[in-house]
Amino acid sequence: MEIGRFTPIVLTLASRNLFHDRVRLIATLVGIIFSVVLFTVQLGLFLGFERMVTTMIDHAQADLWIAPAETKSFEATALLDGRERFRALAVPGVQEVTPAIIGFTYWRKPDGKSLTPIFLIGSQPGPAGLQPWNLIEGTVDDLAAPQAVAVDRSYFDRLGVSRLGDYAEIGDKKARVAAVTKGIRSFTTTPYVFTSIDRARAYIGAPPSSATYFLVRTSPGANVGEVRQRLAAALPNLEVITPDEFSRRSRSYWLFGTGAGAALFGSAVLGIIVGTVIVAQTLYSSTKDHLSEFATLRAMGSSRRYLYKVILWQALLSAVIGFTIAAGVGLALARGSSETALPIVMTPTLILILFVLTVGMSVASAMSAIVVVTKVDPVTVLAR
Amino acid sequence: MTQPVIEASNVVKYLGSGPGRVAALRGVSLSLSGGELVLLMGPSGSGKTTLLSVLGCMLTPTSGTVRLLGQATSGVPPEKLADLRRRHVGFIFQSYHLFPTLTVVENVRLALEMGGERAWRAHDKAAAALTTVGLAHKITAFPSHLSSGEQQRVAIARAIVGNTAAVLADEPTAALDSANGHAIMSLLSRIAKDPSRTVLVVTHDPRVLPFADRIVQIEDGRLIETPQAPQKLLGT
Repeated sequence: MEIGRFTPIVLTLASRNLFHDRVRLIATLVGIIFSVVLFTVQLGLFLGFERMVTTMIDHAQADLWIAPAETKSFEATALLDGRERFRALAVPGVQEVTPAIIGFTYWRKPDGKSLTPIFLIGSQPGPAGLQPWNLIEGTVDDLAAPQAVAVDRSYFDRLGVSRLGDYAEIGDKKARVAAVTKGIRSFTTTPYVFTSIDRARAYIGAPPSSATYFLVRTSPGANVGEVRQRLAAALPNLEVITPDEFSRRSRSYWLFGTGAGAALFGSAVLGIIVGTVIVAQTLYSSTKDHLSEFATLRAMGSSRRYLYKVILWQALLSAVIGFTIAAGVGLALARGSSETALPIVMTPTLILILFVLTVGMSVASAMSAIVVVTKVDPVTVLAR
Repeated sequence: MTQPVIEASNVVKYLGSGPGRVAALRGVSLSLSGGELVLLMGPSGSGKTTLLSVLGCMLTPTSGTVRLLGQATSGVPPEKLADLRRRHVGFIFQSYHLFPTLTVVENVRLALEMGGERAWRAHDKAAAALTTVGLAHKITAFPSHLSSGEQQRVAIARAIVGNTAAVLADEPTAALDSANGHAIMSLLSRIAKDPSRTVLVVTHDPRVLPFADRIVQIEDGRLIETPQAPQKLLGT
């Protein structure tokens, strides 16, 4: 059966106009691909950054976090007094309060000479604690052994280690690689090192029983909101926040407080503007070249709406082809960056947003061409 | 008596504005009935194309009236005029104005589909129209692969496929050799035999005179009476 017989001619005309001039088609597609890939990378980086900023909060199974007052992000390193933990435990509806301590310190490589900064995370074992995940060698229980730490495989080179059992120093104390994780990377590029809470306190020189956070698990059936209010009343000098709120606060601080998010968004918007201009220019010149055809259509009695349809189909076809290629490039970049310090994250929602954006950009680009055909005079056909 | 397909009454048309304003038509009255082939002749700049544009609803008269199947075109907005053209007028242009990226049948389908006809139905009707003009064997060819005469036949098929009541041809034989010109005029003459359809041909070409049922001459925007029958013009 002949497919063309059932294909609306407006679609045939739009696609033939598009493919008739290969050079212009390539220019259009390059514009769309450049724009969409740039947008994908920036938004993918944004998503990746956003995930990494809150990765610790997301992986801790706490119902509430008790933090020092005015904590802006997870990386804040003010300390809480251990006595506060017992006050929290006395609050009705609180089942468990797990202390965790974090801090920046130095890792002396096994060669004994070079130092590299690390971000140390010490936690008491328990469901609400800050234990490592994605373990590919060793177990969480292995961290209970003397000098035991867990590091991510991707940081082996940075830390100068190559396998389980390798020794290094944190501060001036011995550390042994007892567990290895995969894919726990820090957006600050400073490697995370997990250990027990007592050892972490010793490594960073914090007082015994001190902590950066207390992670609260509420009793089964307890109302988290009410427990939060009671905790806030019992600990007036501290902050009691939900994981969602803490995630939002951390994201807001790193993405907008530091200007990193604005830079990513700025580049993304720039990409869209450049892409729109390129596509608009090529569609405009294509329409100018086919002006006599549009005048003929008008002379034959075509409505303006039909002329717009031809141009919009051209724009949509360009968008679909450009998006397909750009999405492929974006997915390849996302895959290639998954093991890097700042991975590009592509989610189904992001892909959908990109498609809508590409179509929107192409349709917006068609406006200049539409203005041209709006003015086309059918009488000019008789003069030629 | 049947209603004329197109009726122009005392049509005046000014073109341009300000000091450059020109009276292209100065009180033209003309009636085109179904079943006749009328030739519109006149020197360059006499107003032929303007009259064709006004009769074909591309332009509206400055004063006077034009009625297409009884419907006045004065004061009609451009979109409504376009709709009138699409439904009732088929144009044939000197340079054919076929779409080079579309096949022959697609060129003809276009005239129907822009009015909302379904693709498959438009395809069948276009194929039938191409059979009428003797191009059934070329429906998948592109215009660049056709001779000039064949391209003009495609243009004719495009003009008649929608069963338009008026077929207006602008110098349809100007770019054709004698044999092709004769074939095209024969075809138009055959189309004009349909009592529901009128054919108006703007031409400079004296070779087409034998095909005319009536000849109208225009000069300086005014029609000149031509009491002679076409045969007399030819001196036969």
